[in-house]
Amino acid sequence: MRRRTGLVFVAPALALFAVFVLYPMVTAFSYAFFQWQGTTRGEFAGAQNFVTLFTRAPFTTDLPQALLHNVLFFLGTMLIQNTFGLTIAYLLYSRPRSRRMLQTLYAMPYLVSPIVIGYLWTLLLSPTFGPVNTLLTKVGLESWALPWLGDPKTAIWVVILVSVWQWIGFPVLLYGAALGGVPEELTEAARVDGATNRQAFFKITLPLLVPAIGTVSVLTFIFAMEAFALPYAFGGSTGNPAGATDFVSLLFYRTAFDSGATDAIGSSSALATLLFLIIFGGAYAATAVLRRHERRITA
Amino acid sequence: MTFASRPPGSSRRARRTVLTIAALSGALLVTACSPSSSGSSDSTGAGGDGKVTLTVWSWRVEDEAAYNKIFDAYEKAHPNVNVDFKAFKATEYNKILATGLAGSSGPDVPQVRSYGQLQGTVASKSLLPLDGKVDLTGWDENVVASAKGKEDGKTYSVPLARQTVQMFYNQGLFEKNGLKAPTTWDEFLAANDKLMGAGVTPIAVGAKDDWTLPIVHEVLAGSRFGGKAFQSEVLSGKKSFTDPDWVASVKVVGDLEKYMPKNVTGVAQTDAQTLFSAEKAAMIPGGSFDLSVLQKANPGMKIGIFQVPPAPGSPSGSSATTAGWADGNFAVSAKSKHPNEATELVTWMTSKEFGQMVNDDIKQISAVPGVEPTDPLLKQMSDNYNNSGSPYLLLTDFRYGAPSGTDLLGKGLQQMLLGSKDAAGVSQDLDTGVKTWFKPSA
Repeated sequence: MRRRTGLVFVAPALALFAVFVLYPMVTAFSYAFFQWQGTTRGEFAGAQNFVTLFTRAPFTTDLPQALLHNVLFFLGTMLIQNTFGLTIAYLLYSRPRSRRMLQTLYAMPYLVSPIVIGYLWTLLLSPTFGPVNTLLTKVGLESWALPWLGDPKTAIWVVILVSVWQWIGFPVLLYGAALGGVPEELTEAARVDGATNRQAFFKITLPLLVPAIGTVSVLTFIFAMEAFALPYAFGGSTGNPAGATDFVSLLFYRTAFDSGATDAIGSSSALATLLFLIIFGGAYAATAVLRRHERRITA
Repeated sequence: MTFASRPPGSSRRARRTVLTIAALSGALLVTACSPSSSGSSDSTGAGGDGKVTLTVWSWRVEDEAAYNKIFDAYEKAHPNVNVDFKAFKATEYNKILATGLAGSSGPDVPQVRSYGQLQGTVASKSLLPLDGKVDLTGWDENVVASAKGKEDGKTYSVPLARQTVQMFYNQGLFEKNGLKAPTTWDEFLAANDKLMGAGVTPIAVGAKDDWTLPIVHEVLAGSRFGGKAFQSEVLSGKKSFTDPDWVASVKVVGDLEKYMPKNVTGVAQTDAQTLFSAEKAAMIPGGSFDLSVLQKANPGMKIGIFQVPPAPGSPSGSSATTAGWADGNFAVSAKSKHPNEATELVTWMTSKEFGQMVNDDIKQISAVPGVEPTDPLLKQMSDNYNNSGSPYLLLTDFRYGAPSGTDLLGKGLQQMLLGSKDAAGVSQDLDTGVKTWFKPSA
């Protein structure tokens, strides 16, 4: 009876999920297995559209490069965002008075659209009119006034760092909640036994935070692999300059909407499917590892 | 259920569910962009007053008032027709149009892309062939090519406007430095040197946006590779993009980098336009479509245009050229409930009456032959193209497959300006890239 009542309550959400999530996904899967002439579906193509992704230009050059940037984006975001997020959350946890206000402040950029964030940072970092380079020049650091978004060596790091700047509030909130769940008696007992603050953090608090770190990692992985808005705002659909900020979602966008190729739907659906498999496979594998670890610490 | 009473393991399950849903929703970003299935609509577009309503779609939101004025004139001459003009955001238009034409709630008369980017819409059989209905004899062949299906050679649209690319210059800054529009390459270089000496950036280029660079190449070096003559040779297979003249034309852009803003690959096109409008740069290579933007940005500035003279070594007989193409074409949807009225409307778009309105109200160079723009600069652009025009080759002939010629050259020129490739390498990449789908006619 309770189960049936529950079903009634979730039915509207399930219906919306089925119509707006499941149906488009399943149709996109099916599109990847057909030949296309514009929006007209042709014959069954088997795996041909997937083979195209690994054998035909521009995919042969653009896909590995874009995927590498996604991985770099994940690793960079992961390391910097997780480290700083945890540090900030830990510092805030020991300052209960100012915690709320600071948490809100850290989460503020999170509320602004990535497109707007990208646009604002593009203006700030412009080598011609941007205040960042003007300031660096004025304080005598002219050699630091680089063409941040115009040099492939710095452009990808600008994307990563601005993304971290925007989303840092997210791990701060999650780790803040997770720190609240760590029983105080454990750290107190350790201190009674003579542990230093550092030892208490690394030996007790950090291991208990692993599930939260895992969750943040998996969500960061999903976020990084589907990154679109911020790279698009910085480098356009072609990942300027010279493909230095290209990402798989941008390649998908170019293939589907900009290429003008008559078989665009087939190859772009294959690319979307491939990206889905990477995201789903990666997230599933990471979650499995996470569960095993959780079982170990709760056993 | 309170948090305290949650059974052990449920948080783990909940997290797993959350992660799975997050992964699924994440992939939605890329998978949801799929064409809609055909819907059905019983709308006939015929109003109670017996009038036929034709829906026209366009990506020119900024021209909505001008189009409404133009279609008011059409409605007066055709009392049985109402024209309902709808404009959508340009960057979203391709998606909206593909969905609209696949269903039955789409437009009767859509504005469609030209040349290679028209082919997907043609392949979908979304448009009615207009052969035998509209007469484009006497039109520039480069313009007519924009409206045709590559496979079947049929005409699927009516070209709206001709775009040209040329060098814009600030007449006031030129006069202040004792300069006039150059007519030889030496004069051009001397002008650049003089401006640079005066602390002005000679040529504003926004190389951060790769799409601008093939235009910059056409403006600076269109005559160096041979313009129109090179087109026929490369299309027939007699020459390729590794031809010494083409490679030298790419090198011209690199050689002129010293006259562009510092760290040019970091400068966005909007920054380049601002440099020009703020009178910190004296010249900017650009399209006819940039004119109104530049005029509005600094109404007090006296803008002139010139064709960049041929660089040394240009093929014999090569003279300064203005590259151009057609765009903004209008077509008739194959699903239109009123194909006759819709065809009549696009046929009217081939008339001088409509062409003049395109010039005067939309402020573009009409594609209709014999129609003169009233704006003196637009007229000069139009005359330059009529007298010494050439196709913007990578757009008119090398966008029929992926990777496109413009994408390849845009990226390649960025690599050259960044110092990671030379002109020969850029040209080789372009040649290799387009040959994956381009087959010469001979």
